[in-house]
Amino acid sequence: MADFNIVHMYPDLMNLYGDQGNLICLQKRLQWYGHRGVIKDISLDGKLDYRNIDMLFMGGGSDREQGLVYRDLFRQAERLQEEIENGLPVLFICGAYQLLGKSYIGAHGETMDGLRFFDFYTRGAKDRLIGNIVITSTITGAEISIVGFENHGGRTYFEDTELQPLGRVLKGFGNNGEDKGEGISYKNLIGTYLHGPLLPKNPAVADFFIQAMAERKGITIDPILDDSIENFAHHQVKSQILGG
Amino acid sequence: MNKFRLILAIAVGKILILFSRLMGNQGSNFPGKMARRIYPGILQQLAARITGKIIIVTGTNGKTTTSNMLARIIKQTGASLVHNQAGANMIPGITTAFIAATGMTGRKRFDYALLETDEANVPLLLKEVKPGLILITNFFRDQLDRYGELDYTVQVIREAVKGKAIDLVLNADDPLTAYFRDLTAVRCWYYGFAPGSYGSRESRESREGRYCVICGQELQYQCYHYAQLGKFSCPGCGNHNPGMDFTGHGLVMHPALELRVDDMLLNSPYQGFYNAYNIVAAVSAARLLGIEPRHIQKAIADFRPEAGRMETFVINGRPTILILVKNPTGLNQSLAAVIEDQGVKNLFFALNDQVADGRDVSWIWDADIEAIETDRKIKQIICSGIRSGDIALRMKYAGYPAEQLVIKSNLKEGIEYLSGLTGEINYVLSTYTALFACRKILLGLQKRSAAPAGKVPVRG
Repeated sequence: MADFNIVHMYPDLMNLYGDQGNLICLQKRLQWYGHRGVIKDISLDGKLDYRNIDMLFMGGGSDREQGLVYRDLFRQAERLQEEIENGLPVLFICGAYQLLGKSYIGAHGETMDGLRFFDFYTRGAKDRLIGNIVITSTITGAEISIVGFENHGGRTYFEDTELQPLGRVLKGFGNNGEDKGEGISYKNLIGTYLHGPLLPKNPAVADFFIQAMAERKGITIDPILDDSIENFAHHQVKSQILGG
Repeated sequence: MNKFRLILAIAVGKILILFSRLMGNQGSNFPGKMARRIYPGILQQLAARITGKIIIVTGTNGKTTTSNMLARIIKQTGASLVHNQAGANMIPGITTAFIAATGMTGRKRFDYALLETDEANVPLLLKEVKPGLILITNFFRDQLDRYGELDYTVQVIREAVKGKAIDLVLNADDPLTAYFRDLTAVRCWYYGFAPGSYGSRESRESREGRYCVICGQELQYQCYHYAQLGKFSCPGCGNHNPGMDFTGHGLVMHPALELRVDDMLLNSPYQGFYNAYNIVAAVSAARLLGIEPRHIQKAIADFRPEAGRMETFVINGRPTILILVKNPTGLNQSLAAVIEDQGVKNLFFALNDQVADGRDVSWIWDADIEAIETDRKIKQIICSGIRSGDIALRMKYAGYPAEQLVIKSNLKEGIEYLSGLTGEINYVLSTYTALFACRKILLGLQKRSAAPAGKVPVRG
């Protein structure tokens, strides 16, 4: 039995739409695999000790809260980027995902800087993109469907054409409602607009992170869990989205 | 001319009310809406026929139960009353209630009007009626309210009451009521629970109200009642709970609620701490209206839960309790009531994702469902509704044994399965759009199980 340390970044500021369900999911699945998921909360002025971190998670927040988080992350951005390059598993949802890009341009033209890890920007708009969404993705090697619920005002556009989205939109809006891309996938990092929360109904994505963490720790995990309820929930909402 | 339009609007409204009742419809917005088209001044004019006070009950959770309790208390005194039905708490529904109560000429007088009102409709309503008393139960983060809309709603209510001679009855344990301090003309009265009345299990949901509305600092809590309700103080500006005019204390939860509001002893067949709050709120308003304690005590003792507010059905000799759930705070409180029940029980949960439920079902992950993990007396959980899979998953990840989870997406199949299980009591939790269907199924089962043996096979 090993401890898997997952850092919940800014839970007091960035936590919308049941996003903490992702942590509940990872923790339970690790337990069922015979290990222990330890959730550590880090907030403003906290220090990230990467020797004891197996994964980072951050959810969405309002504009004001995103501004506070940006300033706090900026002071340790270089190290964070290095860890992402080295394959640290990272899941950033919605507002957290937007922070990874170059900038966020508000509805009235005001610009907020991003961490500039990737060459994309987000433009805010008044009408929000809201609804159930289903995408296809190949992050696990095979083609899988991913379901969720999106609710975002920002439209994200990739400037670097080499960037890989998390998946292609089958139904819903995704990054911007135009180019069919949804989220970003880079090494073991996923940025996405999918709430719902993301991981419980998409056990393949949850296991993608668990396998990535395990591999970095030199542990082997056999995917032996009974996911019949997970798969039922996945297909129930998927058929509703595609049928409706 | 106006008189003619008023009478026509009333006549059309009354006919439409009759039709919607014949159709078995619950919602009663349409008659009021049509009547307002014919004569937009109808609500204003009918409201002027209230000789005593117009009372508005609003807030996020508990407004239906609180206003129904208060209606019962007022009726106990023999006073006449206009009162709108649950689910019809916007302007058209309120208009319907006045049309239903008045005579054909709209001249009938009433002592009181008691208007359960959706929070966002309060400013609109204040443009047409002049309330003497507004009771606010609480302000919680709701499904649609994640981008600071709660603060906005509270602000617009504040602006709407400013400068009006209104008795405002507020929850002293809710930090958000601080918005209403120091308003000209408005007189604030506070109700709440004495510290130590109820546990202080820290819940994770609803951080919204936990920051000081005056200076923005995070509040410090001496104890939580639930969500952001509790005894708080602000380290930044010193803002803290206002002094209480009506204090709930001496709370006993089992087998049914018993409590005191100041020196008045109250007994109620209700369960659950949130209903104790509703009682304190209703009783405080009744005291302000000058109603005698004996009427209040009798009304609270006789008051039985209504649709979805812990209404009880007896099926095959066992009680089944129906509870409406719509947001994390309400769900936490409902689960607390389920867990407090010491009997061997089964749970049914219908989760829908229609507009009235909230299209986004992720709110179930913001609720503290993990609380059921230690309750070994929940024998089975039946997951139902359009999103049965989502609620089943939530239960599984809350630590409930997967082998005791049953998915029956069809409501009727699910409730019939539930009724066939062994145990002492069953709970049916439902989101809004499945509530009335669940109720109808439960009524049917109740009727069938009450039929003389031999006539109808009870369990197939």
